[in-house]
Amino acid sequence: MSNKDDILKRYRANVREKYDMPDLSDIRAITYPDPLVQFIKMTESVGGHVIEVKEGQDLNQLIRELYPEAKEIASNLPEVTIATRNPDTVGRARDLNGTDVGIIRGQFGVAENACIWIPQTMKEKAVCFISENLIILLPKSQIVNNMHEAYKRIEFDKTYDGYGTFISGPSKTADIAQVLVMGAQAARSATVLLLPE
Amino acid sequence: MSTSHSIAAKEFLKNQTYAKWHDATFWAVRSKRDNMAHGLEEWEQLREKASAIKRHTITHLDEYLDQFATNAEKNGCIVHWAKDANEFNEIVYGILKNHNVKKIVKSKSMLTEECEMNPYLESHGIEVVETDLGERIIQLKGQKPSHIVMPAIHLNHDDVGELFEEKLGSEKGNHDPTYLTYVARLSLRNEFLTADAGMTGGNFGIAETGDIVVCTNEGNADMSTSCPKLHIAAIGLEKIIPNYDCLAVFQRMLCRAGTGQPTTTFTSHFRKARPTAQPMHIVLVDNGRSEWIGNPDHWEALKCIRCGSCMNTCPVYRRSGGYSYSYFIPGPIGINLGMLRDPEKHSGNVSACTLCNSCQTLCPAKVNLGDQIYLWRQQLDDFGTANPQKKLMCKAMSTLFGSSAIYNAATAMAPLANWVPSPLMNSGLNPWAEGHKMMEFPKDTFHSLWKKGKVK
Repeated sequence: MSNKDDILKRYRANVREKYDMPDLSDIRAITYPDPLVQFIKMTESVGGHVIEVKEGQDLNQLIRELYPEAKEIASNLPEVTIATRNPDTVGRARDLNGTDVGIIRGQFGVAENACIWIPQTMKEKAVCFISENLIILLPKSQIVNNMHEAYKRIEFDKTYDGYGTFISGPSKTADIAQVLVMGAQAARSATVLLLPE
Repeated sequence: MSTSHSIAAKEFLKNQTYAKWHDATFWAVRSKRDNMAHGLEEWEQLREKASAIKRHTITHLDEYLDQFATNAEKNGCIVHWAKDANEFNEIVYGILKNHNVKKIVKSKSMLTEECEMNPYLESHGIEVVETDLGERIIQLKGQKPSHIVMPAIHLNHDDVGELFEEKLGSEKGNHDPTYLTYVARLSLRNEFLTADAGMTGGNFGIAETGDIVVCTNEGNADMSTSCPKLHIAAIGLEKIIPNYDCLAVFQRMLCRAGTGQPTTTFTSHFRKARPTAQPMHIVLVDNGRSEWIGNPDHWEALKCIRCGSCMNTCPVYRRSGGYSYSYFIPGPIGINLGMLRDPEKHSGNVSACTLCNSCQTLCPAKVNLGDQIYLWRQQLDDFGTANPQKKLMCKAMSTLFGSSAIYNAATAMAPLANWVPSPLMNSGLNPWAEGHKMMEFPKDTFHSLWKKGKVK
């Protein structure tokens, strides 16, 4: 008998009383009068930055102004013309190391905790983590209230259908004496650019 | 009457400054958790749902495991089943050997601690690099975690500073946590880029989609899987949940309960390997779980989501530290899991509980932690681990309280104890005098006062 059958058989034999699945449709989950306002507030409270991009504003110029010193900018987004590296065409994922600014797109944000759903839409997802600073482009109409709503709508990309992540602010740790430090192993800063549409 | 826990706790309490800091630090985390819980009107409802989902799932786990494995395989993953720790270690080593792996980077996984995987792999010539900062610190120090979420909480910034000076070549005397974190970041960055494989645990496995979900603040699970060509995920059977609707409940609670944050920074869904990597391997580990589900008093320990809130709030954990417990998971959940694992070995922990039930009042999955500890205590005699002194006293007390004649005679004579010289009464010969002075017995007993009409 295979290990799987063996384990499942033993488990089945040992279970005593069985319990029903609860109804989850009656959860009175938190909602906000203006989810966008809450999303901005939460992003700042988890250590992220938010900038509202105006209608017609030049995105590349804005990014340049935010990171005037940046030498290596990585993105596969067609609207980012100042990119010096492309996660779709690098030879190896590790070639993205040393990226000063990585620019990616988020699908929607979550007001209660500043999570942004980021399905993998590039060959090397390393760009989302290896960059020193991360910029996430997010249409400002795409904010849901809470994780129940979020999990009803997450989708993986059709081409890169193996990975997706919620990101809320920059990488952080408090593992040394409980002192909060931004920038543990992934991006040291996270900036959300809210797009008019 | 000392237990293994109380003996070890004495060591911890020798450094009172640190002991006070430890207590206050965890109380602060507990308070942050309270702010989060009070910020959501639905919090108690979420706890109810979380408990009910887990009860349902772990009593139907055979079905959900099958569904999970079928979907993961459909996604292109290779799924392994390990019946125990030894088999788990062999499976992981087998995969690494097949891919000619010399070095792996890994994110925090209590399961690999449970199975003592690192020493096994190292004995077979594989270099293992922990990438969660706390785990990395204790790995460099040659220690084990003292908390499941904050593994290096027993070290202060000077300890870490001196360690990094020696192991990572950091500046002498610079013990600033921000600087030290940056030093570790640079060192680990190099490890991420040069490792042949990445390993993660899993906070949840989703039966309906085959996703492995990993929650971190550092992004180290994502870094561990972004550059290496191979990803192995290890997950205990009980971590499988049915679907995303259930995941939403747990995702909202895990971090709020554990660290008092609204979410971890990263909640990552791994469904299959990167397009440029080898197929992803998932190892499902039993190691006792299929037996524990049959334990009528203790099966609900399998509902635990490893948030750590029970240890943060525990008055005994806060004042005795993780190393005072004999099992690698400390605090209320560790007491219970240790007893399920090996009651003969871990009975010394069950006394590390005041039965205040703060743990189960907080537990996001409503594991009845305190009640279970109480039940374990009733069984110590069966395991042969009951304290002989306490047993004798219990027998004597049952004789004493069972007969009014003996009781009256004893209480009438009790004040004689006041005449025993204090150094003798409060010496090590009298275990009840440990940590406090013996009481003085009143001259008149309650009964005699009552009869004289002196109490009403």
